Amino acid sequence: MAIAIERSRVSARRRNRYRARRWIGHALTYLGLAAALFFFLGPFFWIVTTSLKGNEDFFAYPPAWIPTPPSLAHYAALFTRSSGARYFTNSMVISSLSMLAALAVSLPTAYSIARWRFGGGFLSVLLLVLRMLPAIALIIPIYIMYKMFGLTNSYLGLVIIYTVVYIPFAVWLMVGFIRDFPIEIEEAAMIDGCSRLRALVQVVVPIIAPGLAVVALFAFIATWNEFLFAVVLTGIETKTMMVLVTSFTSGGTDAFYGEASASVVLGVLPAFAIAFILQRYLVKGLALGGTKG
Amino acid sequence: MQIGAFALKRKQWEPFAFASPSLVLIALVIVFPLVYAFYLSLQNFDLSVGPEYEYVGGKNYVEAVFQDQRFLGSVWNTAIIIAPSLAIELLLGLGLALLLGRVIRGRPIITALLAIPAMVSPVMGGMAWRMLFGVKYGAINNLGRQLGILDVYFDWFGSSFISIVAVVLVEIWHNTPFMMLVLLAGLQSIPQELYDSAKVDGATAWQSFWSITLPLLKFTMAVGVMIRLIDLTKLFGLIFILTFGGPGGATETVAFNTYLVGFKDFRMSYASALSYVIVGGVLVLTLAFLWVQRLREARAG
Repeated sequence: MAIAIERSRVSARRRNRYRARRWIGHALTYLGLAAALFFFLGPFFWIVTTSLKGNEDFFAYPPAWIPTPPSLAHYAALFTRSSGARYFTNSMVISSLSMLAALAVSLPTAYSIARWRFGGGFLSVLLLVLRMLPAIALIIPIYIMYKMFGLTNSYLGLVIIYTVVYIPFAVWLMVGFIRDFPIEIEEAAMIDGCSRLRALVQVVVPIIAPGLAVVALFAFIATWNEFLFAVVLTGIETKTMMVLVTSFTSGGTDAFYGEASASVVLGVLPAFAIAFILQRYLVKGLALGGTKG
Repeated sequence: MQIGAFALKRKQWEPFAFASPSLVLIALVIVFPLVYAFYLSLQNFDLSVGPEYEYVGGKNYVEAVFQDQRFLGSVWNTAIIIAPSLAIELLLGLGLALLLGRVIRGRPIITALLAIPAMVSPVMGGMAWRMLFGVKYGAINNLGRQLGILDVYFDWFGSSFISIVAVVLVEIWHNTPFMMLVLLAGLQSIPQELYDSAKVDGATAWQSFWSITLPLLKFTMAVGVMIRLIDLTKLFGLIFILTFGGPGGATETVAFNTYLVGFKDFRMSYASALSYVIVGGVLVLTLAFLWVQRLREARAG
């Protein structure tokens, strides 16, 4: 009897100790993640609050970390003084057009690779090499060619280069989606008299649409974020948001902190949205998509 | 027979027709410009001198690889920035992935939040940090003064060493999330049974990390590091906005140096030669990447 009581007491103590250790482990885990969240999201928090500060908060010391009351004055200044509205529209238009063009061109190629193994191993290696190709290698000849054809400072010029640079990634992702699609459905449609192209557009596309949306969103954000081609090939009228931001660094950032932070907020907005929508695909997308640099 | 031959012809023609739009575009907008750039790199085309140029052979390449101290310096700068960035991104990314693996509630939302910097453009992230580092109104100096750590308005881009540290810090902020995502995916593909049976055999958490997690994660780590290494050789936007290569060229990377040669000095031929030297380097790295991946597939299959 006494032994039994003693034993249960020991095991209770052990369980408590185990629980305490687990609790500490959990606490440390969340503490570590909280520190990580502070480091990775802190800059965004500060940029957003800075963009909302009125002048008296802006010059306050000790600094006001939260603007009271928040003011949209910097956004108004960005849209009027720095023509932010135009550059935001430029970015939107260029990214949307490049996204659509990249999808339209890549889909049949991906289909050809997925269904007929077109190009074999050679093509997939070529696509990978193209993905790794530094943009700096293209910018000099593209600049000279665009000068010749009058394509600098135009939407078309940027859309063309963005579309083509994005093809390898789009094709690579789409091949996977099409391979997962059962070939029997297509064949049934073709027996009913559909042409190959119509079967692709009317049967395959609607079913793999979610996959295409993933490719499209990655294409959009990659184009939105691209900087090297944008800074070399755009002029006053066709600047994108990325180029606009750099204009606040020349002549001393300090003067236009408010507008600069407002433009950063607008510039990172699509990235925030897409990071949440595409959670499951982030690894693939970041590894093989994205024009980094 | 007639029909059969037709079907065969049609079959050969169709895959090519489907693939042709992108092949034609890639040929026109990537392959042709690359060939043109190679042609240019053998001339002495310099827009600051004039539109005429002539063939000079391999002179530009010899200058780039053996004489151009600025370019060789930029290779060194790139390496100096890459090495600590890669090491810290790998360690921090692994740590975060392990932490996330222990989280039971709210993992998807925390992962998505931590992933955000990797989705943001280098220019935007760089601008945010440039303002954080700002001398007078920057958050870092102000927070430092408020907490009593700093007693002056510190200029974070005043000396080469601290500039490099700042660039590395921003690069770590920007791309650790990528490493974290890759490693988290790798961790989740390790079967739980291995850990369970190790526990039954009395292994401590540290032992099972050392002899299960690390060996099985080795190739994922290698792939993550290779991808980051290749992308880091293109480091441009971050430099453009954070330091513009300064102070005194201490943070001038190969890509940024080539950009300046092409679009500030307008030495088109020489910039093309430089870009070919970079492409050669990246090609070697890409082949190494393919080799690692093949090794990994051989192990897995």
